[in-house]
Amino acid sequence: MKDIFTDLYNKVLGFFKQAEIEENAKEVACNRLRVVLMQDRTNINPALMEKMRKELVELLSKYVEMDKEALELNLEQDGEQMALMLSIPVIRAKDEDEIADCESAEEDIKDSDDVIGEREAEEVEATEDNEEREETSEEAPEEDEKCICSEVECFCIDEKSDKCECTEKEEICDCGKEDCKCGEKLSTVIQEKKQTGNK
Amino acid sequence: MIETETFTQTKKTKGEIMSGRVIVITSGKGGVGKTTTNANIGTALAKAGKKVVMIDTDLGLRNLDLLLGLENRIVYTIVDVVEERCKLKQALVKDKKNPNLCLLAAAQTRDKSAVTQEQLKDICKKLQKDFDYVLVDCPAGIEQGFQNAVAGATEAIIVTTPEMSAVRDADRIIGLLESKEEIQSYKLLLNRVRPNLVKSNDMMSVDDVVEILSAELIGIIPEDTGIITSTNKGEPIVNDEKSLAGRAYHNVAKRIMGEEIPFMNLEEETSVVAKVKKFFSGLVGKEKK
Repeated sequence: MKDIFTDLYNKVLGFFKQAEIEENAKEVACNRLRVVLMQDRTNINPALMEKMRKELVELLSKYVEMDKEALELNLEQDGEQMALMLSIPVIRAKDEDEIADCESAEEDIKDSDDVIGEREAEEVEATEDNEEREETSEEAPEEDEKCICSEVECFCIDEKSDKCECTEKEEICDCGKEDCKCGEKLSTVIQEKKQTGNK
Repeated sequence: MIETETFTQTKKTKGEIMSGRVIVITSGKGGVGKTTTNANIGTALAKAGKKVVMIDTDLGLRNLDLLLGLENRIVYTIVDVVEERCKLKQALVKDKKNPNLCLLAAAQTRDKSAVTQEQLKDICKKLQKDFDYVLVDCPAGIEQGFQNAVAGATEAIIVTTPEMSAVRDADRIIGLLESKEEIQSYKLLLNRVRPNLVKSNDMMSVDDVVEILSAELIGIIPEDTGIITSTNKGEPIVNDEKSLAGRAYHNVAKRIMGEEIPFMNLEEETSVVAKVKKFFSGLVGKEKK
């Protein structure tokens, strides 16, 4: 008995699906136009929409379990008003404990991030050894990159590691030129890199 | 000169100078029927007793003269007016049939830079004094030609067809018109609608286009082979009272004049014809419809 019903259900579903697939030219035109006009009007390109979609999924999955693939995000014109329509097939809502778990997990991550961030900032200022290690690890793979000191008189532009010794000392560059400020620049750049890395 | 005016714009009180409406007919995309629309609306308005002047701003690609059958009468063009080789009134070509209708032709040998926005504005202002309607035929595109044509106008009619590219370009034009302070209102004219294709869901319907562009409609013109013959003869289709497109253009002209005319239901119009045909073919039996 059950089989008959499921069979019937599938048949009916198949019928409607077929109708959907054979969408008429008019509807195709309307839908394509709506999308392209929204992009024209708002300057929101598909890549940006995708980014928004991803971030929304991330945010909302804290509260509900959903079909991430079927989530639809569309810009629509509702009369004079432009509207961002979000359609989310929810599998089930998460209960309070799960949400709390998510939140605490997030906070943990945040906290640890902060701690690392602070510690590293301190390290940059305080210890030379750490600085060196960071430096070499970050500088080494980027061989194409010009030396950051990029002063005209500094040799390190061409032969970074050999002649210029600025990568070894933090504050005073040994490249022998008076105007060279690579020591200063290096430390600031490293700080910046660390910060972006944390993010 | 006209007994009852329905518009505030053209309302003329004693002693005041007549101030006609300047309407630009534009589309963005080429080939959707701007010039045809211009010729027909102009002729229809003139037939209704209004004084109408049409300005062709499509410098280098003029065609409005052809559609009106005036190509052999042009002596001076808008560039001659701007460069002061003639007076404005000298350059106006009167229509063969209707003395209420005039054309200011575009120069065929010059490009769009021969006339500036200010100069066009000035011409429109001068013509406004003597005419009820100044219809500006805009070139395709959104460059200088468009900017020039729009400069003197306070109203716009956007011609589009139920095709994707035309609708998209119309949307762009609407955006540009909205940013222009001088343009107080714009309306949509949907041209070349093919009821059969709409019925079979192969073409966007009037409602679809209006909804997508969310603009007010001023007319629906069905695709009509009569347009081709009328162009060939140099006689606007509004002169043919039997033509469906001609009637539709007359309706547009009436709406411009402020009358409330219901929109033609093209599906019904054609289906009535079909019904009659069916009826007769039923009577005659095997005869083809």
